[in-house]
Amino acid sequence: MSRSRSILFFVMVFLIQLAISNFLNLGPWITISLIPFLILQIPLQRTPHVVMLSAFGLGLLLDWLSAGVLGLNAFAALMAAAPRRLLYRLIINGERKDVLWIPLLRDTGLPKYLNYLLSLTAIYLAAFILLDCVSVRPFGFILVKFVASTLVSSLLGLLLAYAFQRRS
Amino acid sequence: MNIRRGLLSTISAITLFLVLAAFAIVLVAENGVVQRYRILGTARDMQAWLWTRSSNIGTFFNYRVENKRLVAENLALRQQLARYQAAGRALDSVAVRVEPDFSYLSANIVKQTVNRQRNHLILDRGRKDGIEPGLGVVTARGVVGIVGAVGEHYAYVISILGAGQTVSVKLAGSGAFGPMIWPGTRPDHMLLREIPVHIQAAPGDTVLTSGFSTLYPPDIPVGSVVSAQVSQGSSQELTVALFEDFRTLHSVYVVRNNHQAEIEALYEQVP
Repeated sequence: MSRSRSILFFVMVFLIQLAISNFLNLGPWITISLIPFLILQIPLQRTPHVVMLSAFGLGLLLDWLSAGVLGLNAFAALMAAAPRRLLYRLIINGERKDVLWIPLLRDTGLPKYLNYLLSLTAIYLAAFILLDCVSVRPFGFILVKFVASTLVSSLLGLLLAYAFQRRS
Repeated sequence: MNIRRGLLSTISAITLFLVLAAFAIVLVAENGVVQRYRILGTARDMQAWLWTRSSNIGTFFNYRVENKRLVAENLALRQQLARYQAAGRALDSVAVRVEPDFSYLSANIVKQTVNRQRNHLILDRGRKDGIEPGLGVVTARGVVGIVGAVGEHYAYVISILGAGQTVSVKLAGSGAFGPMIWPGTRPDHMLLREIPVHIQAAPGDTVLTSGFSTLYPPDIPVGSVVSAQVSQGSSQELTVALFEDFRTLHSVYVVRNNHQAEIEALYEQVP
């Protein structure tokens, strides 16, 4: 996929996330987030500094445009972005040397990609839900919300990964 | 060279992460009401924990000094107890009931300041221990302050080392009394004012609490006179060296006047 089409896809996914945050009310049980998927779409060879700053900016922009608590998504995105390279090495362990390579489903295989996406989404949602709900909601509620949100968000991310791959 | 560059890159990445995380938490605390209380609550808990730990370390290193003081205090208390027991036996014979005027609760200092214009202390006793605002705080060697605010586990004490704080004291020999204030210079000296010029006050004379306020029990030795000078031609101003060294203070007594409600009720009856 060309650089401009990659950027267009990135913007499109962000707009979908914005629409989900602003117009889709799924009650208190599920938080759908595509930000972890977008963090995966930042080319792998970017330095941790760039990845953290991009993820933080993305989260902050979402907070601002969706009228949520400013800083909540930014904090969660930062928590997910920081260990991204480590997770890639632990789960996928690819040796790609391309300058701007984005891991694709067909390159890594479904189990590894899903594991990678699930891990990032879990870190993101753990940070988000803990900061949003802890000491306000019971632990059982937080746990159910975390598991349901991680599964739904990862599934949606996987569908977008298929779509991204078809366009590549 | 590569190792050095890698190390620098890792350090800068960790620094960036910490800065962004702190910024995000500040943003969340500023914009989310629930999150603000939770974050501030966690910060306060951590602060109290740190105070307690640092105070424990300080106490550990001052055990020797503190022990000497406690032994001396114990001795004085035993002598006092013996006197009261003798008095009690005499009172029993005429069937008089003796009820103490003040009750005491010991407390440890977890934080204190001595070098500001208004100083304060934090005690490890709070509402759950029966502490209330307005109670006096003393040691065997002087007056410390007044409880200003109370939390569940901690109490904030307004130190007598503060602008505007006065303690009613008297000279041990003559019984002449006056307000003692802190001039704000040294934490071990205060000024006793309004002592009539005809009263003889010599260096070394002991200064005691007068007992005229409902806060502090009478006759607690507070300090000794260092010097005297006539102030405005009508009264003397005495410099008093405090017995209590606030810089090494670790434990105090919170004092409750058992008749305070009755005394206050009397004031209310006066039109």
